[in-house]
Amino acid sequence: MSATTQLPAAPTPPSASSPAEAPRPPQRLRRGALRSERPGVRFAAWATVVVCGGFGLLPVYWLLATSLTPRDQVFAYPPKFFPSAPTLDAFAALASNDQLFGYLRNSVIVSVITAVLSVLVSAYMGYSFSKFRYRGRRSLMYLVLASQMFPQALLLVTLYSVFSAYNLLNTYTALVLSFTTFTLPLCVWMLKGFFDTIPDELVEAARVDGASRLRIIHSIVLPLAAPGLIAAGLFAFVRGWNDFVFALTLAGPEKQTLPPGLVNTFIGEASTAWPELMAASLVVSLPVAIAFIALQKYLVGGLTAGAVKG
Amino acid sequence: MSLTLPQSAVSRRRVLQLLGIGAGTAALAACAPSAPSSTGAAASAAAAGGAKTDFAFSSWSFTEEAAAPALEAIVKAYQDANDVTIKDVSFPYNEYINQLTLQVKGGQFTGAAHVDVAWLGSLAAMGKLQDLSALTEGRGYTDAALAAAQFDGVQYGLPWTIGAIGLVGNSEILQKAGIDPDAFPATIDEFEKALKDLKGLGGGMIPYAASTKAAQLKDILIWMETFGSPLVDGDTVTIGDDASVEAVTWYKSLYDQKLIAADVDRFDARSLFAQGRAAIYDDAPVGRNAVQEESPDKDLGSKLVPLSRPVLKAGETPRALVWGGAIAVVDGEGAATAADFAQFATSDLDTVLADYEVRGLPPVTTEAQQSDVVAADTFGSLFNERITATSTSNPFWKFTAYSQIETVVAEQVQAVLVGKTDAKAAMQKAGEAAQKLVG
Repeated sequence: MSATTQLPAAPTPPSASSPAEAPRPPQRLRRGALRSERPGVRFAAWATVVVCGGFGLLPVYWLLATSLTPRDQVFAYPPKFFPSAPTLDAFAALASNDQLFGYLRNSVIVSVITAVLSVLVSAYMGYSFSKFRYRGRRSLMYLVLASQMFPQALLLVTLYSVFSAYNLLNTYTALVLSFTTFTLPLCVWMLKGFFDTIPDELVEAARVDGASRLRIIHSIVLPLAAPGLIAAGLFAFVRGWNDFVFALTLAGPEKQTLPPGLVNTFIGEASTAWPELMAASLVVSLPVAIAFIALQKYLVGGLTAGAVKG
Repeated sequence: MSLTLPQSAVSRRRVLQLLGIGAGTAALAACAPSAPSSTGAAASAAAAGGAKTDFAFSSWSFTEEAAAPALEAIVKAYQDANDVTIKDVSFPYNEYINQLTLQVKGGQFTGAAHVDVAWLGSLAAMGKLQDLSALTEGRGYTDAALAAAQFDGVQYGLPWTIGAIGLVGNSEILQKAGIDPDAFPATIDEFEKALKDLKGLGGGMIPYAASTKAAQLKDILIWMETFGSPLVDGDTVTIGDDASVEAVTWYKSLYDQKLIAADVDRFDARSLFAQGRAAIYDDAPVGRNAVQEESPDKDLGSKLVPLSRPVLKAGETPRALVWGGAIAVVDGEGAATAADFAQFATSDLDTVLADYEVRGLPPVTTEAQQSDVVAADTFGSLFNERITATSTSNPFWKFTAYSQIETVVAEQVQAVLVGKTDAKAAMQKAGEAAQKLVG
């Protein structure tokens, strides 16, 4: 039984002769609701946009507002939507904290390497699961997923022991390997789904033309799977960027990344420097946010392509 | 059509080889070397004054804005005087004990470790802490401080900053409600009436920002003791007895009357108190700086007043929970010098007083406590007199599973507060669960 699937057929463009029967793209429908001549529909559409937008953006605004608020007013009651005496002190404190730049550097190094390694390994694994048929393939696929079924704390202790035995603690290697342990399963399954959508006939045609197996992968399949590779890479990058517990436990003070570094710096035994913590969180979120905005079309395409059955 | 991978590429033998490598890795990890058990030899060597070596010192305060300068000064003073290098290690307070345990167990950490006195039992159970009793002779540590840093009769830590967790009030708000902070209600009944008077001030005032979140509901234990429950008798958990049920029933009645608020933990309580929205809360001396920093009232420091916890019947001794930090020494490389450092940091008068000026935490030697700097601190002196003087350790700390025990009790108390169950059934359940953890 073949597990491969066909590429979804491209949507047929609406016929000029029968506009009423032509299916409208979903985006047109949404825009239509917002501009509808029926006030009820328009109101409901805008209300939905405002509520959903507010749900997503209010925490970000609160992050910004807190970062601009003096520490003694952070918990003022009643809460103030706009800081009454905005200050950039928290950002100034960040700029003068050299340690934070060290954490930032470590985060970038570890996240980028994790992303590259995850994409590299999962691309070949995903291709193998998608395009080859061999005994134990299904078992291996589920074995890959098995690591996701253990509590992370359990794996943390195991990984700590392994890295300790091989003198890998307090190294970038320990962080990258541990992060990759968690990113690989999803990346492999994501890319397998993506490769499933690439027709086998394309691969067969390349073979008939004399292309080697590696040539087929590198020159034909991977370029076609670029959105999937980018989505997998972004997922792995964000996983490495956001991790707290593994980075805290395995990295040591010199290789500490931003999440444990920020907690260590701003959250104390008795108090938390909220404005500084919020300012730091805002600043360190920017690279990820920019990466998402720049690559969102690939990300959406990559995440959904594998889910479509032809 | 699907492609077929040649059988030889991923053979059954190859799969077995890979699995073998995985199993071997796990076996190697299991055979990771462990550190030697505690002998006290390093402490004896330190007491005898051997050659100094480099060592590591871990503390959660190294990266804390307010406390770091004090620690850095102590480390620098010792390094300069002894020509050694101290490697500082830091983890966030909330993660500290887990991280330290992992590092000590894995043999990654040896040297001096700043510990909460509540953790000594768990750390001692690993068998890697030094007995530091040889270093306590002639240094002027108070008996109470030494006792706080002992576990099972062994001096596993040198006390550094020992105080207690007790009630702290805002004198201005108390006086507005007609309550004299220096003649604070002595009994539970009088205390409850005072809380009602505070509630009467209006403006959303929370009379007592007691802990009501599960994460901090272990605070209920001191009230159970106030009501007469011993909590533990030998190795038998007594939670579920009449006194513990009465304590929880009373706590629930405060909750229902809105004399205490929902969803409050220590951090919330500090914020509410700092904003002038709560009149009384529970805290250790370490909270003093935090509430002042968070408060728009620049004069809050002068309004802070330590209050003796009310008792069930007049004449009984007020209860308070020991709180504090100690320096323990983990066996291994540099342990002898680390022990000498621990003694220096905790009992050298100039060092301790310089530390006090930055952190404001209660010192542990008689000489330091009687110094002008410490005596001139009204809040500190009153705290010592009204709260620390009668403080006792949490009887659960002697069990390695004390944290889980506190959690199961807290969960049941929270179930009572939200009305899911009654106090008697909940405490019986909590007692049984705690007993299982005790073994």
